[in-house]
Amino acid sequence: MKALAFLATVGPMDGDRSSAIAAAQAGDLAAFELLMRQHERMVLVTALRLLGNLEDAQDASQEVFLRLYRNLRKVESASNVAGWLYRVTVNICHDLRRRRPRPVALDEIAEPAAAGPDPQRSATEAERRSVLELSLRMLSEKERAALVLRDLEGLSTEEVARALGSSEATVRSQVSKARVKVREFVERYFRRHV
Amino acid sequence: MNCRDWEERIALYVGGDLAASEAAEVERHVADCAGCQVFASGLKQSLELLREAHQEPLAAAHFAAVRARVLAELAGERRAWWRRAWVYGLAAAAAVALLVAFAVRPGHAPQPRRPEIMGQAGRPTPPEPKVQVAEAAAQPKPVHRRPQGRTGSRQAAPPVLGARVEPVMVKLETDDPDVVIYWIAEIRGDAK
Ligand SMILES: [Zn+2]
Repeated sequence: MKALAFLATVGPMDGDRSSAIAAAQAGDLAAFELLMRQHERMVLVTALRLLGNLEDAQDASQEVFLRLYRNLRKVESASNVAGWLYRVTVNICHDLRRRRPRPVALDEIAEPAAAGPDPQRSATEAERRSVLELSLRMLSEKERAALVLRDLEGLSTEEVARALGSSEATVRSQVSKARVKVREFVERYFRRHV
Repeated sequence: MNCRDWEERIALYVGGDLAASEAAEVERHVADCAGCQVFASGLKQSLELLREAHQEPLAAAHFAAVRARVLAELAGERRAWWRRAWVYGLAAAAAVALLVAFAVRPGHAPQPRRPEIMGQAGRPTPPEPKVQVAEAAAQPKPVHRRPQGRTGSRQAAPPVLGARVEPVMVKLETDDPDVVIYWIAEIRGDAK
């Protein structure tokens, strides 16, 4: 009810976000929920791309939003919420990876699944997805983060640099290395298996 | 220039990360170099595959689960905060009651028990401030306290016969194990 009332009082997207931040700062949990809804896709999907499994990604997202709630003062303006969230998501995923290392297992490639309208097709799709997920695991953590933010999240090199706390030159080098490694892995796999 | 030296720039080129002049240079080299053409198309293809593989949307339930966990945690923290605020408020109210008791009946102030000094070392940190009310189970309601007995004219209600005066000790344990606050207040037996 409170959330609905709040939604009714705010206008277009940006004002919406600023008011949500202000209201959440004042302790309005419904406003904070709205703020979460606005950014949850970005946070969870990024965490999933960085970590490679949903369970860890959800734990990371939870931590990101709790940290957001405790730092609302730092993200007062709507314009820097996304940048702040990307940076914190990267850091939290980094910490989580340290705490729960998941070794790379090459036999993790999906078994052909007999589901879907065209079993052959869905099998190859699932397989391809696994190959690409594995290719990300071949990257160093920094390379993976740079590639995920630049190529999958579509951030500019400058934004990626800010999120990773490094220089644009470093990001460009990491992104190019990551692209080359993914290509090598994907080509080697499909040449051998297809 | 060796083709190896073009690798990084081609990899940046396929992602649209080069300035126009640099991109033009790469295009000129790739147009004349079969090996780099293969390399560039392989890069483009794997990048496309990677993007495709990550297109699949996540089910709404996955987001809702995270939201619910965050809100539950925040609501829990808020309850704990209010509990703490209530305890501090109670202590403050007890202090006010004590002062009022002294001010109104300077000659008849109950002799409060001296606050006990707790042992300093080895006490476990309590999870939250707790209030221990000694003796009486009655809740102190200092706002409704009335001056008692022989002060005469200003008294709002007649004293109840047999009403007992009980010193109540409010012990407040703070987050710091070395700081324990005691408030000694007086509760009349008829206070309800
Ligand atoms: Zn070449």
